[in-house]
Amino acid sequence: MAGFQEDLFYSREHTWVRVDGNVATVGVSDYAQEKLGELYSVELPASDAEVEQDEPFGVIESSKSVAELISPVSGEVISVNEDIVDDIGVINSDPYGAGWLIMVELRDLDELNNLLDAEEYRDYVGEEAGIEE
Amino acid sequence: MSAKKPESRNESSWRLLPCQALRAGENMAIDETVFRLNRTEGLPPTLRFFGWNPPAVSLGYFQKPFQEIHVDFCRREGIDIVRRPTGGKAVLHEHELTYSLVAAIDHPLFTADILETYRVISACIVEALNRLGLAPEMVSQGRSAAGTPLEGYCFAAPSKYELLVKGRKICGSAQVRGGGTFLQHGSLLIDIDPVRAAAAMGIEAASISRSTTTLREQLGRHIESEELARILRGAFEDTLGIHLAEAVLTGPEEALKQELLAEKYGTDRWNLEGKSIPDEDRPLTEG
Repeated sequence: MAGFQEDLFYSREHTWVRVDGNVATVGVSDYAQEKLGELYSVELPASDAEVEQDEPFGVIESSKSVAELISPVSGEVISVNEDIVDDIGVINSDPYGAGWLIMVELRDLDELNNLLDAEEYRDYVGEEAGIEE
Repeated sequence: MSAKKPESRNESSWRLLPCQALRAGENMAIDETVFRLNRTEGLPPTLRFFGWNPPAVSLGYFQKPFQEIHVDFCRREGIDIVRRPTGGKAVLHEHELTYSLVAAIDHPLFTADILETYRVISACIVEALNRLGLAPEMVSQGRSAAGTPLEGYCFAAPSKYELLVKGRKICGSAQVRGGGTFLQHGSLLIDIDPVRAAAAMGIEAASISRSTTTLREQLGRHIESEELARILRGAFEDTLGIHLAEAVLTGPEEALKQELLAEKYGTDRWNLEGKSIPDEDRPLTEG
């Protein structure tokens, strides 16, 4: 069963956002990593790159599929998690912690209003999963 | 779990793009275009059967050509090399028919579950093979060739829901998902020259013969791509309960296809190096 952290924002494209001041840490949700299965490869933007809300910022490959990573926020990438280059499995094992992907200096805090809180995301995922029954 | 059928075929008309043998770059530009614009242009699910002229090796999105195939052999033999938008491993497209299918990830026939899309599409291919008198097996537990000399070759090992005939792989598949849409590629082998395929892949011919089978081998006759495409069309329509309406790319699709061909799939930069963006924005890549 996928886990949800209460203190995060979530996007409908299954990324999470942890906000500290005007810096957002971004990763993929536990639900998404579970759906994708064992991860093989990831491609992330360089530091200093600009990302845009709802636009692709990277690509991740699992045993089942290649999936585009869609940015939940807009701004400048100020840090990239280089540790996952050596151990991508940490995205599977610790998606909300050591498996984070990028940190973004937010351009527009109001964009966070477009995201879901944990309860809304749980409902959203429940509806999506419900289609499978 | 069986595919849910819509109430009537008329409610579920899909597009069928022309069956043509095109250059590798154009094939991939078309498929990425259909994938990118499906949702934004409000287009229905779209299916295409196609060939490759000249023959080509297609690489999975994250593959490294100089390590995983024999680039010089391909160049000498006039075999195009193209990097797909989908994942998976390398395929020599010479005596085979490729399909691409684009649909919304929440389409009622597929659901948001990745493996379910493989299962539903494989059921259509199974139906086509049954109509040819074959009895393929849908693999319930995927295997991997990772760590072996064959790990870069698509037909080395079946993933879950891929198809075997008499224990050997006949159809491989791969997928990309994004923006609420998925694109699945699959390759159904009509015939194979194991020596040539092995040379292109940089592996031993005997290992290809052990892992791979073809329609020619199983049917004892050659089947033309057009006949196979016709059988597949009927199998998709009847299995999914849909109507495939023949169509061509829309104006916006044609424009994006040309752009992707010029800037991405027609360039060594993308096909050999995996770079579609300027050096200064070069991504950090693992894999």
